[in-house]
Amino acid sequence: MREKWRFLTTQDKTAYTNMAIDWAVLNANSKGQVPPTVRFYTWKPSAISIGYFQSLDEEIDFNVCKKLGVDYVRRITGGGAVYHEHELTYSIVIPESHPQIPKNIIESYGRICGALIKGLGQLGIESQYMPINDIVSNGKKISGNAQTRKNKTVLQHGTILTDVNVDKMFSVLKVPDEKIRDKMISDVKQRVTSVKHILGEDANFDRVSNAMKLGFEEEFDVELVPGNLTDQEIKDAEKFEKEYFSSREWNHKK
Amino acid sequence: MSEVHTMQEKLFYRLHLILNQMNLKSVYKIPNGKLLKISLDYNERNDSIGSIDITGDFFAYPEEAIELLEKNLQNSRFNRLDLLKKINSVIEKNDLEFIGLNAEGLTHGIMLCRP
Repeated sequence: MREKWRFLTTQDKTAYTNMAIDWAVLNANSKGQVPPTVRFYTWKPSAISIGYFQSLDEEIDFNVCKKLGVDYVRRITGGGAVYHEHELTYSIVIPESHPQIPKNIIESYGRICGALIKGLGQLGIESQYMPINDIVSNGKKISGNAQTRKNKTVLQHGTILTDVNVDKMFSVLKVPDEKIRDKMISDVKQRVTSVKHILGEDANFDRVSNAMKLGFEEEFDVELVPGNLTDQEIKDAEKFEKEYFSSREWNHKK
Repeated sequence: MSEVHTMQEKLFYRLHLILNQMNLKSVYKIPNGKLLKISLDYNERNDSIGSIDITGDFFAYPEEAIELLEKNLQNSRFNRLDLLKKINSVIEKNDLEFIGLNAEGLTHGIMLCRP
């Protein structure tokens, strides 16, 4: 019999709530209160998440964010700034000691990305893992991923780009040199792709979610059972959102 | 009277520190790794690092690793070998792991700040 993991979908949450839920699930799993959990989610309003070690001031144009109604948040994971708009975001939380998770961090990235690659395959998209933390299709990035390990528990979250608006992305992100903004935009357009671009048609959340669910089930030989956050997770998420992700102190800490 | 004198002395000392310190920055792409950005207060008087801020899109496990390094690098002399030794010592002592960053790259990023 296949092992059962919890499967959550939470659409249209704010950046603060999304990051708080990931941390709350990590917390609950590390205490043995919930099984390994895979969550698919979207962001409303669209938002930028920056890596734990990045400087908010250096990455984000606050005026443009305000004008366009784009939120911003610091993640608990490292990595780079990500503009979340047309995408399916996933997170997986699982004990570090689980036999399906390699001890080596890079290998574990590859293993979890394996689920996304199988999921993309369900959509008819061929892709490969590109270390450190990307998935590419025809040499172009379609997914970025970030992992942390806390209390002997792994949290990896990342994106599957369903569509991409590079011009808008660059309007909210700062570039190191304004003189090369146009060149950077054109370079990124050459290096990034999306489900829509490859398939030549829109792919809604349910379609991509179903494909990714199958990808996780196949990669890890598990059954993803739809479930809900526990009362404790909801309470923890509210606390983390208030004390960390929506606070100036957290987001501007660097 | 002596208290006023002490306050003046403190003020002068503070001003002296400000005048002898400057904020320096570097941006360095770690070979086969991530982008590292360093911002530090340089103390010209004794060629040392006042405070240092290490940022970038790398990964560090545990995440507190970077704060630990920032604390340990404070007041370090601007010497490549000394810095590398100190960074390696903090990494080993605290069992830190980096992805997209390494001790040599971090040392180089810091040294690039040197005027």
